Amino acid sequence: MANRRFALIVCLVSALLAAALLALPAFRFETALFSVKSGNTFVGDEKYLAKKAQAEDVLETCRESGGYGDVALREEVTERVNSKGEKTSMVAFSVTASRARSGYEFIASGLPSGRVLLALAALGALSLALLLAGCRKSLDTPPRALKAGQRRLRRAACFCALGALILVPAFVMRTTVYFGREIIALLSQADTPAVAVRVAAADGFLYGGSAGAEAASLLGGLQYRPTAYVWLLAPVFLCLLLGAVQLSEGELKRPVMRGALYLFVIAVCAVILYPYYVMLITAFRSNAESTDMYFRYLFPTKWLFSNLGDIVRRGVPRYLLNSLALSAGATGVALLCGVPAAYAMSRMRFRGKKAFLGFVIMSQMFAPVVLLVGISRLMNFLRLNDSIVGLMLINAAFNQAFAIWLLRGTFMSISSEMEQAACIDGCSTIGSLLHVLLPMAAPGIVTTLIFVFINAWNEYTISTVLISNAAKKPITVGITQFSSFNMIEWQYLFASALLATIPVVVLFMFIEKHLVAGLTSGGVKG
Amino acid sequence: MNGIRVRYKWEPYLWLLPSLLLMTVFVVFPICIVFKLSFSEISKAGVVGKFIGFENFRSAVTDKAFGVVMRNTAIWVVSVVGISTLLGFVLAMVLNCQFRGRKIARSIVVFPWATSLVIQASVWNYIIKFEYGNLNNVLLNLGVIKNAINWRASYQIEFAWECGVGIFVTVPFVMFCVLAGLQSIDGAFYEAATVDGAGFWKRLRRVTLPLVRPSLTVSTVLNIIYVFNSFPIIYTITKGAPANKTDTMVTFLYMRAFYDQQKGPATALSVIGFAILCAVAGVYMMLTMRGEEDL
Repeated sequence: MANRRFALIVCLVSALLAAALLALPAFRFETALFSVKSGNTFVGDEKYLAKKAQAEDVLETCRESGGYGDVALREEVTERVNSKGEKTSMVAFSVTASRARSGYEFIASGLPSGRVLLALAALGALSLALLLAGCRKSLDTPPRALKAGQRRLRRAACFCALGALILVPAFVMRTTVYFGREIIALLSQADTPAVAVRVAAADGFLYGGSAGAEAASLLGGLQYRPTAYVWLLAPVFLCLLLGAVQLSEGELKRPVMRGALYLFVIAVCAVILYPYYVMLITAFRSNAESTDMYFRYLFPTKWLFSNLGDIVRRGVPRYLLNSLALSAGATGVALLCGVPAAYAMSRMRFRGKKAFLGFVIMSQMFAPVVLLVGISRLMNFLRLNDSIVGLMLINAAFNQAFAIWLLRGTFMSISSEMEQAACIDGCSTIGSLLHVLLPMAAPGIVTTLIFVFINAWNEYTISTVLISNAAKKPITVGITQFSSFNMIEWQYLFASALLATIPVVVLFMFIEKHLVAGLTSGGVKG
Repeated sequence: MNGIRVRYKWEPYLWLLPSLLLMTVFVVFPICIVFKLSFSEISKAGVVGKFIGFENFRSAVTDKAFGVVMRNTAIWVVSVVGISTLLGFVLAMVLNCQFRGRKIARSIVVFPWATSLVIQASVWNYIIKFEYGNLNNVLLNLGVIKNAINWRASYQIEFAWECGVGIFVTVPFVMFCVLAGLQSIDGAFYEAATVDGAGFWKRLRRVTLPLVRPSLTVSTVLNIIYVFNSFPIIYTITKGAPANKTDTMVTFLYMRAFYDQQKGPATALSVIGFAILCAVAGVYMMLTMRGEEDL
């Protein structure tokens, strides 16, 4: 009871504090109204005094006009040594207008970041309102014993507080982007009514509309920074959130851990998905957009599906087909050789079993890269260089180890009683393998199949050495034609990469669950 | 006994034959060829000459880039394997918890594992470009930075990025190995530990770590091999430039063999790499075979 009352008071206080913070300056803006530089002077000489007088004149005028807020004169001295070795100074005078804007002024202005702040304030207020409604006449009851309706109200209050908390950095970012990039980008555009409206809005917000014709140049040199008050909103909303959580769950530790868990998982997923996002947007942008650092949007302005048509003309379907043939062939050969071997390894006793297992594990040690010189010579000798069949066989061979390993694990996890029964019924060994064991081992076999397929599909190094004929390149080698030394056609590179990636990622998601089981039963066993 | 009757003594070997044949031709033969070449004189055109002893090894080891390359290889393997093992372990612990959306999260985490390394490396190569890279673009758009940052100001930083990409693609494998280990742990162990009053760290040290150690060992050793042999990331992002300063053993070897046409020293490097891997393989064999007594 006592800690529930305390939590409610914390929530009330933080909401009031947030409302007060919004009335304090949120952002400070500075503009250079006038600046003049003296040439080589000494501080205090004639030239210096003349310029200073000039600057002070401007200062007076601006101060009288009144629309600029706090006007101040700044003087910046840079010392330098001239060619004769004398020390002189360069003095820069500037008249700057500095102006602070509170949260409520932002909300009233209708600027994009003002709308973010409005949402923030609304969420905060809503959170408090929901909390008060959810606690009406029931503060005595522990949260677990509450009626569902009131519990739900308190929960909703938590989410509102969380939303408000997230919007604090969002507001700062939005303001920074608006004044740092969007307004400047607008100014560089032609004089359209839409631009004039936005500029007038910013003028009205910062100078009370008094800048008029000067507004464009003033906005161009605008300096801005968030004040400490706006950052104080974050801990205040955190207090509101924690109070709401306490009221809704009756404790803090577990829900906070839970929140941290979700936060961590979301962050990890965001980092992992980031390159795929880049691949996706670049694939459908024009080359100009994808090589423009100051491109202002997070998504293409126009989704160029014609990039797909272009890569079709540049031979990408051919590469995809080659890859498909190569991977399917490699998978077929790997399984055709791997299934009997795994069968013998899991069901029969014979001399040299351990030696063979050692051989299999050893072969896993040697990636094709280290053996490239040997492989290319061997393929020359077998007349299999520049051929898909050659690549197929190599991929199958280098995936044998994993295939046998996974299959053996699967077979060992299945009891042999059924096969023994089949043998008594007169079925041959091959018959019992085909009709009894394989159907039961289907999930493991599919996993192995997809795994080998994906490995072969993604293989790059051997193919790039062995294949020189463009018509026989698999997709991983084929996409490199879009990145030559002097020009990289990113949009085509990533459009093809996207086509090459989507099918395997989908396949992998299918086997993900079985792969863990396969690794447990076969591969990872110490 | 989980087995079937064998009619003839030679029957098991017949079952092994296709696999054995495939691996002998395409794995063992190249190994033999590489060994033979490393002791032979090879002309630029690729004609194999007479036996010259350790001449190829001498020229490979005395190459002025050799020291840098070996150091890079060591940094590459240790940092990528070390950090991704740590991150993979933490991630597996987290994804082993029960929470809503766990299936989706696990599906997303496999993405880097399923993507071709050359594609993954190309994307990162684009992301960290200074002039127009997407990282600068996004950070500028979000207002996090005011001016573009040169993410590849020096070759050391570029090499660090390459290690980062290596970690990015290696973490999922570790995660799945550890997850497989974690899921086979009986919940009763934790209950017993909790009843005995063990806190989170104590449970981690006394229950979780000993039980997932086998999976962790295997994933670490396999990763050492995969990462040592990893080629496309470095080849795509820097091609070893400038002057082999970001090369690891395999990219260096590749450049020597197929760009500079120095097949002799290249094969010698292969054999050296080979010896290093054999040492690792020996450790791996010992660790894996230990539990296979019930064969």
